[in-house]
Amino acid sequence: MTSTPPSSADTPTAVTTRSGWGRRLVDSLSRYGFVIVFFAFVVFFAVRADAFLNPSNLVNILEGNAVLLIAALAMTLVVASGGIDLSIGIAIDFGGWFAIIAMRDYNLTWASALLVGLLAGAAVGTLNAALVVRLKISPFLATLGTFFIGSSVQQIYTSGGGQVPFREMSESFRSLSTGAVLGIPTEIVLAGTVGLLYFVLLERSVHGKRIHAIGLQRSVASVSGIRVSGYLVFVFIFASATVALSGIILTAGLRQFTPLSGFSYLLDSIAAVFIGASMHPQRRPNVAGTLVGVLFLGVVSNGLNLMGLDFNLRDALEGIILVGALALAFTNRNNRAAEVSI
Amino acid sequence: MKATSLLEGAGSALEMETVSKTFPGVRALDRANLSVSRGEVHGLVGENGAGKSTIIKILAGVYRADAGKVNVDGAPLEKIDPASVHRLGVRFIHQEISLVPHFSVAESVFLGQEQTGKFGTAKRLMRQRAEAFLTETLGVELDGRALVRDLSVAERKLVQIARALIDGQAKLVVFDEPTAVLAAAEVQTLFAAIDALRQAGKSMLYVSHYLNEIHQICDRVTVFRNGTDVGVMNLRQSQEPQVGVPEIIRLMVGRDIDDLYPQRQHTKRKQKALEVTDLDDGQRLRGVSLTVGAGEVVGLTGIIGSGRAELVDSLYGLRKIRSGQILVNEEPAKANSPARAVRSGLALVPRDRRNDGLVLDMTVADNVNLATLEEVSTLGWLNRAAASRRGDESMERLDVRPRGSQAVSRLLSGGNQQKVVLGRWLASQARVYVLDDPTVGVDVGARSEIYRLIADLAQAGAGVLMCSNDPAELLGMCDRILVIVRGRIIADIVAAETDLEQLTALATGGAEAT
Amino acid sequence: MTATTVETRRFAAAAPALRLLLARFPLLVFALLFVYMALGSEFFLEWRNISSILRQSAPDAILAAGLAVVVTAGGDDIVSGGIDISLPAAATLGVGILSDQLVNGRPFVLAMLLAAAAVVAVGLLNAVLVVKVGLTPLLATLASWVAVIGTTKWVINNRRITVDHQFISNVRDGTVLNVPIPAVFALAVLIVFSFWIHRTRFGHRLQASGGNRSAAEISGLNPDYFLARSFVMASLAAVVATLVLTARSSGLSPGIEERLLLDMVLATFVGAAFSFRRVVTVPGAMLGAVLVKALGSGFQLLNVDIFKVGMVKGVLILIVVASAALEAGQRR
Ligand SMILES: Nc1ncnc2c1ncn2[C@@H]1O[C@H](COP(=O)(O)OP(=O)(O)OP(=O)(O)O)[C@@H](O)[C@H]1O
Ligand SMILES: [Mg+2]
Repeated sequence: MTSTPPSSADTPTAVTTRSGWGRRLVDSLSRYGFVIVFFAFVVFFAVRADAFLNPSNLVNILEGNAVLLIAALAMTLVVASGGIDLSIGIAIDFGGWFAIIAMRDYNLTWASALLVGLLAGAAVGTLNAALVVRLKISPFLATLGTFFIGSSVQQIYTSGGGQVPFREMSESFRSLSTGAVLGIPTEIVLAGTVGLLYFVLLERSVHGKRIHAIGLQRSVASVSGIRVSGYLVFVFIFASATVALSGIILTAGLRQFTPLSGFSYLLDSIAAVFIGASMHPQRRPNVAGTLVGVLFLGVVSNGLNLMGLDFNLRDALEGIILVGALALAFTNRNNRAAEVSI
Repeated sequence: MKATSLLEGAGSALEMETVSKTFPGVRALDRANLSVSRGEVHGLVGENGAGKSTIIKILAGVYRADAGKVNVDGAPLEKIDPASVHRLGVRFIHQEISLVPHFSVAESVFLGQEQTGKFGTAKRLMRQRAEAFLTETLGVELDGRALVRDLSVAERKLVQIARALIDGQAKLVVFDEPTAVLAAAEVQTLFAAIDALRQAGKSMLYVSHYLNEIHQICDRVTVFRNGTDVGVMNLRQSQEPQVGVPEIIRLMVGRDIDDLYPQRQHTKRKQKALEVTDLDDGQRLRGVSLTVGAGEVVGLTGIIGSGRAELVDSLYGLRKIRSGQILVNEEPAKANSPARAVRSGLALVPRDRRNDGLVLDMTVADNVNLATLEEVSTLGWLNRAAASRRGDESMERLDVRPRGSQAVSRLLSGGNQQKVVLGRWLASQARVYVLDDPTVGVDVGARSEIYRLIADLAQAGAGVLMCSNDPAELLGMCDRILVIVRGRIIADIVAAETDLEQLTALATGGAEAT
Repeated sequence: MTATTVETRRFAAAAPALRLLLARFPLLVFALLFVYMALGSEFFLEWRNISSILRQSAPDAILAAGLAVVVTAGGDDIVSGGIDISLPAAATLGVGILSDQLVNGRPFVLAMLLAAAAVVAVGLLNAVLVVKVGLTPLLATLASWVAVIGTTKWVINNRRITVDHQFISNVRDGTVLNVPIPAVFALAVLIVFSFWIHRTRFGHRLQASGGNRSAAEISGLNPDYFLARSFVMASLAAVVATLVLTARSSGLSPGIEERLLLDMVLATFVGAAFSFRRVVTVPGAMLGAVLVKALGSGFQLLNVDIFKVGMVKGVLILIVVASAALEAGQRR
């Protein structure tokens, strides 16, 4: 028999996880650089626009971005699994649209209508999942295809995009957007709940671990016995059902459905997810990061609004601030090239 | 023990002095020295994580050394970057195969050294030259238009070697574990190529964990331990006492390894762990049948293209089969996905570590637990303390260095990565272990430990199918050895009744089964 | 010494003809569709229709060529690889500046130079954000998309600008040897970019950088250099697209960029199905743009309800892409 391997005591190269204090400071600065830039903007707006720090305005920001947050969380999940979902706009539309149809044309209760909306979203996700898992189309093209088809379906049934109003909406359904739970606006409560759910799912559960593994190196996940297809199906359906909820909230607020309106959330949610991922040491999409991303977008747009700038100038500034903030926060952190090993 | 005398009449092709390199938290090199004389084949050995690949990458300009001097051909190198080192005639065959998946063989061979004609890159010329070189020097027939993603690991390795040597301008060639993925026959071809290079007066640095190889082809060998050189031994001069493999091992691991392979008593059990009948995939496999009894270690060997890789993939549901049956633990197993295979009781240590083995950007603990996450969770909630504890245990058991289960796997040395892959499955409760080249790139010390663990698995009643390119390993570990040639099992021999020559002859089709 | 013989497989597989057919299946699908359309409407194959398709698809094709370069240099992984979604925004900014300057009586050359400078500046901004700041290309170009669109709105005051300029109308209506001038521009881009990317040493290395970053690095290449160059090259394509776009809509109509973005991205990635290796290529991307446009035009000629065209188009494209993906899977 052989002797046991030498103990690690005789290895002078043994690892020390604690490195210098200065290094850690640099590390955390680069990690939280974006958060610092974010707070700099909060301070700036607080000084330049008196109304900005009013509690009611802060609640406004949260409420106004609840829908985006829900969509961005769903996007986080899909991106973590290694894909992307360009059809979230469709799931948003379908959620609200079918909920309204369920109530208006079939007289269903608000709860059933909610369920119908979520199922409509899930149906969109099912199509995505089938395309990705069965037909092996890349998520990017698959969801782009779903987007084209879904847009077309909406145009066909709304004669090219006519609105679908429903003024007699029940109060209970309305309260999904306008109500409050313990004094907190329902939208915020819903977004918070979804956020918590996603946090547990993605960052604390075994399923999240597996989804991350699939996203990072699919073949390894597969060889390790993880049911890759099953998880991908889950991811696409769950994400689409989640964004359908934002669609439902939107229609509840407006008492009508506007076809093709979900598209406007696509780029913002992608931006939020990737801002969040940039803050992660391994550049992984993560729930907390996405939240920061959404809040940043929301704060900048709200702040510029309060400053009473010209409409067109405001749009320009929003973009320029985004570029500047990213550049400011992430320049000089240890660069990509340095991390690549062979 | 330091034998500093250089080969007669030759200067130094390479001189690296007091080179140090620290990665965050790891001192990979600590004032290491390395010197290669002109015209010699110089071996470099050391345990996993000793710093061999790191010093090579410093020479290649991939990493920058913290301190130290580098001389190539007697001239000091001021700034080391890949282009300038290339210009000096230093060529590398790195340990990890990095190729562009959708490039053709010819394009890969000429990457960075493209040939141009009147109308841009001379594709036809490059293809012809690449094919000719692969056939003549490396003895392998490859279509220059075939895509890298369709090649086997061994074929990719040969492409990588061709890339380094094709321009004929090499003065110093650095091989970092080139034979790890090659089978015996290909290894011999490579050695012939190395011999030809030696005849042509080139110098070579050769890293390997196969000490027999080192002994066979190297003139001298430098031994690394914990990031520094602990000795240079002369293997050619007939001095007393003669330097042999045991001496190298002692210097390398600081102790003797008397018996690499554990003593096993194979208690024959009636139960069959794995039974395969008439497996056919319509392409490479033509009616393969085999059994692995519970408690038995069965070896499988075969050259590239023999169907060995396809057989393993089919067992594991990575490849579609057309007909045939697979029984695991005497129950039919549907082999249409790896997830199914795992649930029916199979475990696979894949041969392509880089693509199928590890999630490189996850921590070591995550990788160890990946297949058995239920065991460190309650109702889906991951128990992170338990997970990290298991990671630590596994690292302890397999002596993965540096310790620290929260380290990102990408940063481990090649051999240590392999240990982590093994650790994943050793923790599971599988009935059948399919180990595809389980000790590739693993140092002797750890290798003996892995062998012991495999023996323990068998002792506990699991069946082990051990696929390997290393006949010595099969002879040392297995009860029976199967030889696969052209998609058929042509021999099923009791290990105790065969020897190295017969095995090699069988695998290359040079002999009939007895 | 034993020389190992490995069967020369893959290309010498059993039925080469069948393989070729499979590999070309996506193109075949399109060919069949066009036959069907030609049978349904005689006008479809008339040169007047074809040249109109070419004219209409020229801007998309040119932008797709630019995107193909970035994807080639950065890798085709959407999440971490190379992508430049700001191209349509940059082109729109160019159109805005060109139209504005022309309407204000600036000479054409000067106006075009100004527009080109702005467009290339966007390319440089992307290069800096990705290479120096280290953002993933998707996030970097998304941010510059937002910034450029906003800036365009602000500079142009979000209005429609109609240009009545001799040169622009010539580009719009003129032909060379019966080929519409926008298509000539596209052809020029095709030739230059294809050669650049697929036939030169530089292009070969650029492809390697995107195909496997670390492989390029150990081969002594600097992937960041190629990625940065690709953003600038793509912005050159956007400069050409600026001119063609201005001609197509006789000036600037606000809000064209989203449509352009979708068409460009679709064309580029569908184009991958046309290449043997199933990777994004310049000719594939440009062909994709033309074929997708032709599809739309064909359906209109067949009097398919305009709202249904999107659906049919989507389904067909999925079929094409799926066939490519399944064929690739079959080879494993
Ligand atoms: N990029 C990196 N970042 C951090 N640590 C690294 C990096 N590269 C290597 N290391 C560490 O440096 C040490 C030496 O690694 P190296 O790859 O040189 O070992 P090796 O001698 O080649 O081992 P093997 O035989 O297993 O290939 C190891 O502990 C490894 O974990
Ligand atoms: Mg190594």
